[in-house]
Parts: sequence; C-alpha cells; structure tokens
Amino acid sequence: MTVYYDVTLRDGNHALHQQLSESFVRKYCAMADTSGVWAVEVGHGNGLGTSSFLAGKSAYSDESLLAAARESLREAKLAVHAIPGFATINRDLRPAVELGVEVFRIATHVSEASMAQTHMEYLAQENVTVHGVLMMSHMIDMTGLLAQAVLMKAYGGSAIILMDSAGRFEPKDVRDRVEMVHQEVGLEVGFHAHNNLGLAVANAHAASDAGASIVDGAAMGLGAGAGNAQLESVVATDHSDSHPDLRQVLGLSRLVESEFPGNLPRTTASSIESGLAGVFSGYAPQVMEVSAEFGLDPADLWRALGEHKIVAAQESMIREIAITLRMR
Amino acid sequence: MEYAQLVTDDRIRVAILGSGNIGIDLCERLLVDDDFEIVALAGRRPDSLGLQRFVDRIPVIATDGISGLLPHFDSFDGVFDATSSFDHPGHWDITREHGKWIIDLTPSGMGRPMVPCLADRVDAMHLGLSVEPENLSMISCGGQSSAPMLYAITRGVSGISEVEVSVSVPSLSVGPASRRNVDHYVEATQELAAQVTGCPNAKAMLVLNPADPPVMMRTTVFVEAESIDLDAIRIACAEMITEVQKSVPGYDLAVEPYCPRAGLVSVTSRVIGAGYYLPPYAGNLDIINSAAVESARILGHHRLYKEVRT
Repeated sequence: MTVYYDVTLRDGNHALHQQLSESFVRKYCAMADTSGVWAVEVGHGNGLGTSSFLAGKSAYSDESLLAAARESLREAKLAVHAIPGFATINRDLRPAVELGVEVFRIATHVSEASMAQTHMEYLAQENVTVHGVLMMSHMIDMTGLLAQAVLMKAYGGSAIILMDSAGRFEPKDVRDRVEMVHQEVGLEVGFHAHNNLGLAVANAHAASDAGASIVDGAAMGLGAGAGNAQLESVVATDHSDSHPDLRQVLGLSRLVESEFPGNLPRTTASSIESGLAGVFSGYAPQVMEVSAEFGLDPADLWRALGEHKIVAAQESMIREIAITLRMR
Repeated sequence: MEYAQLVTDDRIRVAILGSGNIGIDLCERLLVDDDFEIVALAGRRPDSLGLQRFVDRIPVIATDGISGLLPHFDSFDGVFDATSSFDHPGHWDITREHGKWIIDLTPSGMGRPMVPCLADRVDAMHLGLSVEPENLSMISCGGQSSAPMLYAITRGVSGISEVEVSVSVPSLSVGPASRRNVDHYVEATQELAAQVTGCPNAKAMLVLNPADPPVMMRTTVFVEAESIDLDAIRIACAEMITEVQKSVPGYDLAVEPYCPRAGLVSVTSRVIGAGYYLPPYAGNLDIINSAAVESARILGHHRLYKEVRT
C-alpha cells in the first residue's frame, strides 16, 4: 500500500520565495487533513532552521508555521524536513518534538549520510517517526547509494527517501534504485520527484510500482524549480483502492491554483537545462537573476554549476562561477 | 594554580591528542616549526594511519588516548586537542589539573575563543593575567575563516541587526568525529560571529561538498546593518586578508564585498591549503591548524611574560 506525503507547504515554499503564511498553512491543513494524505510537511523550502540571507528569509518562523499546522491536523501527520549543518538538535529538532511534530525527515546530500547520525539517533529515542533522506540521489552510483541507505538504517531510520532533487531521473532510473534499496535494505522506501524534465508524475508511479510505499507530491506540483510530482495527477492515476479522496485532493489543487497564480511551477527550457546538468532545482531564481546581472546565457551557467558538482545550499558559488564565466 | 616550571629552552613543548586528519596535519606542521617540539602524540587505535606515520618522528606515541600522556605531563607545556567536542571536556579537566594550557581544535566552545589575527582586536579574545591555565578554543574552520571578514565588515557598518556565516568544505576532508560534532560546529561558529560583531542575532550553516576533484573551502558572510560604507569595508577586508595571509598564505577573497540589497553586505573568502598532509583542497585544515599554532605561539610568549611579571 502506498501512502502520500504532501510537501506543498515545504517544497512549495521555494516557489513562494519562502513567503508561506500562517493563515494559508491553517487553510491548507484543514482541507488536507481529511483528504487521506498520510502526512503534511511544513516549513522553509530547505527545512527547519534554514531561513537565512543565503537561502531566503521565511516570512514566518518555523515555530509559527508548525504551530498553525499542528492546530489544524488531526488525521494527517505533521512532518518536517531537516538538514544537519543547518538544523540543530537544540535550536530546531527538540522544540519541534515538543510542538508535536510526528515525522522527521533527516536529509543529507546522497554521499554524506554520516552527517545525519547524531540527529537521527537523537530522534530515534523520541516517540517520533524518523526517515532518512538522500538528496540529489542522481549524483552517486548504485553501490554507493545502497551503502548510504544502509547507514541511515543503522542510525534508526524507519524509511529511506530518495530525492531526485535536480529532476534528473527517467522512470527506469527510479525503478532500478527504488527496487534495489527496497530489497537490500529492508525498510520502507519513499520517492520525491522533481519535474524538470516533465517526468515527475511518471517517476512517482515508477517508484510505487517498484516497491516505494511513500510517494511525495505537491498540490499543483508547488515546489522548487519545475516543481514536484503533481499530487492530484498521481492520485487520479493511482488504480489501487487505497488512495486519498480525489475530490478533496482536487480541492487542494484548486486552492493552490487560485491563491498563487503567479507562483505555479512548470517545466521550462531552463528547468530542462538544469535537469540535464543535474543541478539542484531550488537555484532557479538565483541562476536567472545572476545570469541577467552578468549578461550570461542561463544554459551556460547551469552547465558550469553542474560541472562544479554544486550541491544544495551553495548559493554563493553561483555568483562566483558567474564571475569566472564572464571573465572567459 | 601555578604554571609548571618551564621545562627546557625557548621551544614550546607540546603533546597532541588525536591522530585523525587534523592531528596528522598539525604534527606535520609543528615538526617543521622551530618554535615547537612535539613530545607526544596520543591516539586511540594502535593501527591508525596517523599513529604509524609518526612512529620514528615523535618520541612518545600513545595508543590509549589521554591516559597515555599521564606519565609525560612534566615534559610538555601544553596540549593540542584534535579529538572531538564530546571528548574535549574530559581532556580539559586533566590538563587543567596538571597546570597545562590546552588548545582546543574541536568545536566544544568551552574555552576562550581565539582567532589569532583578532587577538588584540576583540574583547572576548584578550588574554588576562590570571595564572590559571588557558583553554583557547579554535572554534571551527568556518569560525577562523569568517571572523576576519566579519571583523573587517564591522569597520564599515553601523547598527548591525543580523549576521550570518555559511561554510562549504570538501567532504573528503571531514572525518567521522567532525561529522558527529556538526551541531557543536554550527553553535560554536555562530557564537563566534556574535562575539566578533557584537550582534547576538547570528546564524551559521555548514555544507559538505562531495565534488571530486574537491572544491576548495568557501566561507560566505552576510551582515545586515543600518548603514554600510562599502569602500571602508573593501579597505578593511584587504587589510585583514594581508594579516591572515602571514600565517595562512592560501587565504583570499573569492567574491569581493558587495551589497545583495540595500542594508545587506556580503563577502566570500576561500582557502587554498598549504598541503602539509591533505592536498591543497583542504584549506579548512590549514586555517584551523594555523590558528592553533599561532595561538600556541601567543600563549608561549604570554606565559613567559606572565612569569616575568609574577
């Protein structure tokens, strides 16, 4: 059985330039709660503790957004994304546990699972669900991926979530990876798609066909770059008998569509360039801005970022690389 | 407590705790520095590459951590702790008991913060005249690389409301202890940023870059302030760069000071390592170990000065 993990109020915050409001969180959560989605993830686009000049300032604190969600969720679980190096146990995780967050996704770049040990071991002792998340999972070979997933299991994760943060995968890539992790690690597997190449919905289905029991999606695909798998499309084409209520999920889609008409993500020439370059989708606003400032073709900048193997949270490299390109 | 008698000539005699990346680099550095003599190196695993590497070059190689140093405490002036922030408190208890100073290369944040080029410029770093042994904290590589830039920015701004430090280091240079320490790294780095700028509203972030060949360490700082004089900041940055380069030749600007928007200024520095142990990409080791060595030099001179005075 596949459950749906709704990232609209977290990944979608990228598309909203981190301006997500308490009042929208309340409105959305009240509707999502009865829709049958398993969990609703809330916060800054990069997760707990990442509101910053570097990655964008949140309009509302993590605490206020989570409190608003907590009040509105009864059936669906409240979830957060947290990256060690940004979120700390004392400042972010412990307060979130106390506030009643039920699912913690501890995320690292795909080759750096050991950064998650302290955080996952701490959470595993609390009465919460802990998922280990491997971001930018296209940047490692299969053997490496398996080794990192095994580490996260050892730290106390109850599921391994593979994120296609750059929207680089095609369905076959997803199937191979999900199948391997599912069979070899012996934990639940989740998949988080991005739509850079227009394949997010197909990839979400490929994941669940290959054994993923947690599928990430966002209403209207609201998410970084070209957005995530569109939740309502995946649900509409889920032919099992246990999917969320389509009518209610379409209600979420309409809510997002009417509330944020100027922020809806789509697959564009630029998102295809970034997908092919394998660069974190969340960089799209900076890449467009810096390309304009330095008179560069965004395609060249995406390619250069890909060549430097830039990972998430290296916004400052965009400017530096642009300066180098201009000097050529 | 009195400082132990000076044991020997003018050389500063030291012991090193920890035989990981940082400990190895530190040994290589001190072995070619005429001001220092390494008396002992202590690790935990007899088969560790770090310990084997120095068998013929350091008189005492201990395999049982700080216990192995206990019989030798009379023969050195102080200790470099290159273990982990979880082990540092116990190490400091023992060295203090023996009246020896300690240089803490872990981000435990216990001791007095020290960024050598700012020793006379930031209040929190002033060494007092107390005879108690000093615990000087090197904070983190990100702390050492951000503090000079943050200080330079304070020369050209007024009314600071927020400061931020983001550090990216090559993954290959970050060992297991540093990974388990990550929260301490973040907390100690942001505390230092607050001390250097006088602004309590400080944030630090660390990201590991896995690229191979590795991408050199970068440190970006942001300061939000009521008024910003970019020219004054440029001049102060250039001065600090020159100052830091005296001990860390590979330290330089990667992105000149600029204002991403009104009321916000940002600078990015990078460090090319001196290559004592890990290749030049590991500038992060270079900057924290240079700081440790310079701090020990300051302490050595300061201690002599104190003994003359008392």
